[in-house]
Amino acid sequence: MKETLRILNELKEEGLIKDYAIGGGIAALRWVEPFFTQDLDIFVAFEEETTEKGLIDLSPLYEYLKDKGYVRERQWIMIEGVPVDVFPADPLEKEAVEQAQGVEYEGVRTKVILPEYLMALFLRAGRDDKDLRKIEMLLEQCDIDRQSSRGY
Amino acid sequence: MESKRILIGDRVLSRQDLFQEKERARRERAKLPFEEKVKILVSLQRLAHHWGRRKDIIIWKIS
Repeated sequence: MKETLRILNELKEEGLIKDYAIGGGIAALRWVEPFFTQDLDIFVAFEEETTEKGLIDLSPLYEYLKDKGYVRERQWIMIEGVPVDVFPADPLEKEAVEQAQGVEYEGVRTKVILPEYLMALFLRAGRDDKDLRKIEMLLEQCDIDRQSSRGY
Repeated sequence: MESKRILIGDRVLSRQDLFQEKERARRERAKLPFEEKVKILVSLQRLAHHWGRRKDIIIWKIS
């Protein structure tokens, strides 16, 4: 995990991405009691968002990772033994990345999306009971700024 | 309706006390360091993979 974060930081240092933050289950895990999850969701903000055709081009990022030997497995890219899902951030996610909390994981700097934004993102995704359960855990187990959450 | 009391060692608790204790413990676990939580997560992945026979589960490398 530490090495995975180092590689993600490298993407930023190399200018391939503007910034990133951990989202999804692992971000929730930062704020609530441990629970089972499978992958590391990363929300990524880019300097230049789109190509002329209006596409978000993740190819340079994937090429860079591929050159380092990190390959795709199922829907993930395996980075140092951790399955990572990369999501180009939309406006709300970009705000979440900007506002994310800087933390250290075994001495490696990273950012984790705040619980208020996580709840908004889980609510918006509304995929399954698991998302609702995570919202419930965030409400029960950490101090949520309910005032700021109201706007999302 | 008054629920039955529960005896644990020398403590007498109601069901409500038990649930409140459980909730308190969860809030305590929520305060564990991030690294510690990831270690627990990997134990859960290992458990699901081996004991739960979910061979599709990837056990993370954390060190």
